[in-house]
Amino acid sequence: MIPTTPGAPPRTSSSQVAMSAVLADLFARPQFSIPQQEKDRLLLTELTDLVDHHRASCEPYRRITDGLGWSRDRVRSIEDLPYLPVSLFKTHELSSVPPADVFKVMTSSGTTGQAVSRVILDRGTADLQSRALSAVMARILGNQRLPMLIIDTKNVVRDRNTFSARGAGVLGMLPFGRRHFYALNDDMQLDVDGLREFLARYDGQPILLFGFTFMVWKYFLQAIRDLGITADLSGGILVHSGGWKKLAEEAVGNAEFKAALRDATGLARVHNFYGMVEQVGSVFLEGDDGFLYPPNFADVVIRDPATWEPAPDGTPGVVEVLSVLPHSYPGHIILTEDRGVVHGVGDASSGWSGKQLEILGRIPRSELRGCSDTHAFDGGRR
Amino acid sequence: MTTSMPVIQFLPTRGTVDLGDVLRDLREAPVTAPFDQSRIDYISDLATRLRRKGRGLPETQALAYWMRKAELHRLEDSFAELGNDRCLLMPRGTVFHVPPANVDTLFVYSWVLSTLVGNRNIVRLSSRATDQSNLILDTMRETVVDHPEVAGSTTMLSYGHDDRLTAAISAECDVRVIWGGDGTVNRIRTTAIPPHATELVFADRFSMAAVATDAYRELDDAKRDQLAELFFNDAYWFDQLGCSSARLVLWAGAQDPQPLAEDFYGRVRAVARAKGYQVDPSAAIAKFSQACRTMIEADVSAYSAPDNTMSVLTMDGFPDVRGEFCGAGLFYQLHVTALAEIVPHIRRADQTLTAFGFGEDELRDLVRALRGRGIDRIVPFGQALQFNRFWDGYDLLAELTRKVTLSAGNPLA
Repeated sequence: MIPTTPGAPPRTSSSQVAMSAVLADLFARPQFSIPQQEKDRLLLTELTDLVDHHRASCEPYRRITDGLGWSRDRVRSIEDLPYLPVSLFKTHELSSVPPADVFKVMTSSGTTGQAVSRVILDRGTADLQSRALSAVMARILGNQRLPMLIIDTKNVVRDRNTFSARGAGVLGMLPFGRRHFYALNDDMQLDVDGLREFLARYDGQPILLFGFTFMVWKYFLQAIRDLGITADLSGGILVHSGGWKKLAEEAVGNAEFKAALRDATGLARVHNFYGMVEQVGSVFLEGDDGFLYPPNFADVVIRDPATWEPAPDGTPGVVEVLSVLPHSYPGHIILTEDRGVVHGVGDASSGWSGKQLEILGRIPRSELRGCSDTHAFDGGRR
Repeated sequence: MTTSMPVIQFLPTRGTVDLGDVLRDLREAPVTAPFDQSRIDYISDLATRLRRKGRGLPETQALAYWMRKAELHRLEDSFAELGNDRCLLMPRGTVFHVPPANVDTLFVYSWVLSTLVGNRNIVRLSSRATDQSNLILDTMRETVVDHPEVAGSTTMLSYGHDDRLTAAISAECDVRVIWGGDGTVNRIRTTAIPPHATELVFADRFSMAAVATDAYRELDDAKRDQLAELFFNDAYWFDQLGCSSARLVLWAGAQDPQPLAEDFYGRVRAVARAKGYQVDPSAAIAKFSQACRTMIEADVSAYSAPDNTMSVLTMDGFPDVRGEFCGAGLFYQLHVTALAEIVPHIRRADQTLTAFGFGEDELRDLVRALRGRGIDRIVPFGQALQFNRFWDGYDLLAELTRKVTLSAGNPLA
């Protein structure tokens, strides 16, 4: 999944999405505060309406939901709602707004030649996404803008035309901080002097750190350890994303990651997040217990890939993400290509309500036999 | 040869060799008359060993069965009918085979036919070797030791994406045989073959099955189960990605076939379950994604996927769903009143029609009505993947030989 955050969040603009009472409520209440039972009910109404909205506005979506046998009367829970495979956003441009209303087309990163997702945003949905992300981040950052240390190179945002997921992620987070400092030089070396200066200036104050999980580990933490740098980050809040694949290769999981950061820098407040370009704004945020929690306007269903039925808590399956934000494109219910497991439901008293998600990584590509022409020369057939 | 062109050779011996040396040796190797005893002995010896070593590997067993001695003699007899005393069949010379990557036994089929008719062969194997293809190559290497007279006439090798090497081999060949997706075919075709050389191309194909609804209705439970098993073998052996495996299922008859079709699919699913057919999560997602894409691009009236082994999309008209395919048990079904209705929709890419319940005359009428616009073979259920000398419209035995005509009359008499 591509971690991406939208453009400037705390911005005022007239929303073109007519806010339903439910949507307004989901925004108004503190994030991660709604008990699951109540959330189930709120999201069901809103998402069911969204299905009908997109059916009316997006012909390909109507065709698919017709094909899947959509019937509003048969819906009892969010698990009964139709979901689209995420790859569909790579092969089709799915829009629920007239071309004139398209404000921005978000694309996922992809290596050359690989298909990228194209997500159609109008101002209303873009605005909802921005406000949503602000609301989510406020849960851990409060409403202040902290001095911000970006664990990346300035290059990543310098050329805004070459839109990478990393660049988009950094750009999306910038508004949550001030006095931005990019901790890595262009050759990915830690800017030791710059770091010392930054830390000296904000000694003892809370700061925001942001970076991609692997880069935090490899280019920040390891450099600090290798160079023997004393950095007191005990006042810091680290927000990171990007997935554990590369770290898993080094047998580093979330627990090791956090322990190593704490040991080396005193950094104790560490929040992973899970999000994707197809559902910008609806980021799942890591709670104090290490689980990822969906914000008020999002939820998750785990499906058994053998039957596509919902899997019981504790049973890993394919991650389906639901969000009430997408109005300009039918990305409100998406079957991802990630494996995950829901461990249970958080306790509202802890400040983290909602399903406790753990992402287990990408679903490995199968090696089917027979024909395939994915390799230019090695195409097979019979 | 000034520049070195290293390749990994698998036959006759294993090791890294220079392509220039390989081609020089091959050039000096003799061809033989078609069905020379030395070639028959080699292939049938190989068949015996494969049968023994390939226990539990159905594809290898099918291959070994196809090249057993009795079958070779049958092949020889039918080959003999292609010529006579005044039309003599001779090998073409050097045949360059480019088999597909993922069907691990296919590289053997075109090579066997070419070997039998006396050619020299050079086979470019995919670098993605499977256990099964390795077993076959090991067995070939071991067999060739006992057949020194044919050892020099075949080389099997692999190399990376290097058009230079493909060009060097192509320049030597009299026939080039390309199996592969359209992209592969186009890529290889950018390298020239000598002016006198010919080329056989087996590109991406699409296949379908047809059931005469009335005939299916007449079957008892046991027969229906049997038919379902044959269908399963045809469709699932190569994860439904064999080009001869049906993707479209036609139900032909006046009445609504749906109850019978569902009965049939239920039995196919039961076979899949009984055989432990697994659809891994990635393939399951690919199937669901392809189903959704089809709903956008074609007219789908229903989608049924009670479990992941077999998903069925009911189509409102003959769908153009050729091309990229997920495999692993996704089927399009279409009701036609009569089989002849499909004629205007058939395209060049359509290869195999697996048919049940139709009379031979009806099927022959279909072939005549098609006038070659598509469908190269019509076979009963259970035989979709049975390779033979007639493939994709070619007679390989004829294509891999040349006809030399002889007329000894005295013009002065």
